[in-house]
Amino acid sequence: MANRRLLVKRRSSVRNIRKITRTMQLIATARFQAAHSAAVSRRPYTDKLAELTAGIAGAMGDLEHPLMKVPEQENRSALVVLTSMRGLCGAFNANVLRLATGHLDANQEKDIETEVEMAGSKGIAFFKFLGRPMTQRYTHISDLPSFDQVEPIANALIERFVRGEIDSVDVAYTKFISTGRQRPVVERLLPLTQLVEDSGAGAGDGAGPQVEYEFSPNPEELLNELLPATVRVRLFQAFTDAAVSEQVARMVAMKAATDAAQDMIKRLTREYNRARQTQITLELLDIVGGANALA
Amino acid sequence: MADAKGFACSVVTPERVVIECQARFVALPAHDGEIGVLSHRAPLLTRLDVGPLRIEKSEGQTELFFIDGGFAEMVGDRLTVLTESAVAPAELTREGAEALMAEAKAMTGVDDVAHAARQRMKRKARAQLRMIA
Repeated sequence: MANRRLLVKRRSSVRNIRKITRTMQLIATARFQAAHSAAVSRRPYTDKLAELTAGIAGAMGDLEHPLMKVPEQENRSALVVLTSMRGLCGAFNANVLRLATGHLDANQEKDIETEVEMAGSKGIAFFKFLGRPMTQRYTHISDLPSFDQVEPIANALIERFVRGEIDSVDVAYTKFISTGRQRPVVERLLPLTQLVEDSGAGAGDGAGPQVEYEFSPNPEELLNELLPATVRVRLFQAFTDAAVSEQVARMVAMKAATDAAQDMIKRLTREYNRARQTQITLELLDIVGGANALA
Repeated sequence: MADAKGFACSVVTPERVVIECQARFVALPAHDGEIGVLSHRAPLLTRLDVGPLRIEKSEGQTELFFIDGGFAEMVGDRLTVLTESAVAPAELTREGAEALMAEAKAMTGVDDVAHAARQRMKRKARAQLRMIA
């Protein structure tokens, strides 16, 4: 008897959980769609900037710039790690953090002093737990990072790089490749090495005949402005990618949770039915047994 | 005027494409003064300052934005303005501009980098005030 009531109770609580996870899945889906369409509308700027930089680079030939200077020896480095503010998104944070700690350990072996700038409370909590130091913590980045939120971070990094306080900057984040594929990566932000990378979309029109621009001011000075803008937009892109990936990860995790709850409900129902049938059989046996004894 | 259609003009920020239209005339706040762009202009690549961007559309209306630096490229009768922020004048407030000015005045730091940042912020505040007035 008690067993049956227990099963009913458990089943209803699992049903509630399923309701919650399904709602969270729907919310994550809506957020993902918003984040994704925002990410898509951010592409033109990135593409155009790469195109302009390529145009100037073509006009100048040999490029030299403080932001592109590769130090002979790396002594100090910074790592920006992008994690989420909220949990329940599967292995999203764990993947990035594993990569980040691996990168830190590798740097330590090479005797590169690396400071960590952590974005997202999940990453902050994890590093606190490990007892690893963090120089900066960012918890003000919203679900859909705006350029205003990212710009100061990028500017501070650029300034310190130019001053020579740090020799390189890397970013650990989850790159959004497609809805089905996101990959945690560590990418080099500074010094800028490949200028004309990821111009897959811009390559078609960029590879056309060289345009004879009228430059104002001269190309060197334009580059002085273009390169920091490139760094800023690359960091912004990383933040955007991480935000979109987070929503996908949460969507997938909540879908899995809903499915698991569904399976559990099925199993509990089966158990409940069996318990009920067993009880009926027992009662029948009792009655039949009693009747036989009287006869 | 060769054709009434004008030329293609778009304003792009890191967050979105702010406007994409056919324009008859565009006034840009270039780093060394205002530049006016008409159809069939020679290819140009220029750095922009903070200030007002005015687009006179082919259909007649005029669009005004406050832009925060960036670049403009004119190539093949297509003008692209890349800027880190473009806001409509209606979104600017006197308080916001004055707060910006106060912030700039409160900035400390004596080296070149800090000085340039302070000057830039002041210029931005002044340009905003001019646009509101």
